[in-house]
Amino acid sequence: MSKQEMRKRLAALSFSEKVKILEKLRDRSLALAASGLRQKSEEDASKKADKGSKG
Amino acid sequence: MKVTLEAINQMQTDGIFGKYAIGGAVGATLYLEPAATLDVDIFVMLPTAPGSSLLSLAPLYDYLKVRGGVVKDEHIVIGGWPVQFLPPSNELEREAVAESVSTTVEGVTTWVMSAEHLVAIALSTGRAKDHIRILQFIEQGAVDRAKLRDILERHGLTAKWKQFEGRYLEGIHE
Repeated sequence: MSKQEMRKRLAALSFSEKVKILEKLRDRSLALAASGLRQKSEEDASKKADKGSKG
Repeated sequence: MKVTLEAINQMQTDGIFGKYAIGGAVGATLYLEPAATLDVDIFVMLPTAPGSSLLSLAPLYDYLKVRGGVVKDEHIVIGGWPVQFLPPSNELEREAVAESVSTTVEGVTTWVMSAEHLVAIALSTGRAKDHIRILQFIEQGAVDRAKLRDILERHGLTAKWKQFEGRYLEGIHE
């Protein structure tokens, strides 16, 4: 199925079905954001530890 | 979302606001394929306090806070969704609320702005993500072009639309 056909098929779903997809997309975005933050805080902690070990 | 909309409908029944309509990305989802968004934009017609012409969201926030709503920046979380309540800021947005269309989500009745009003508001707002959304509406044939032209003319957006067309729609046929 082409990307265009897939988009048309998704657009043709009922609003209820599309809202369920929105909820899944939102949960995924939040999970990605949370993992990014965790990764960043781990990196920050690692940098601080490096600085500490040099000092 | 069902819980969110039930709570919003209850607020309307309790007189916290008058007519409301879903706008933004969630509103656009009625007409397009779903696109990731983190919040729900609800445009609400607020009642004015007796003897005042000022509109305030304070009664709305107070109502929700005593019912367990959690305020998070400009949003209030209802049924797991951060909701932003927006009083219409101009005639176009007021018209969009007034002419919103009724639909249902899991059996709950709600109102969503028309595709043409969503496009006109996106054009008026004019951020990159708004332009992308307009293109999706056009490419998917989700707008009535005559109705859109009428709205754009009435709200002084025709010149802006012509600019948009020249920049993004050349080569896309109606």
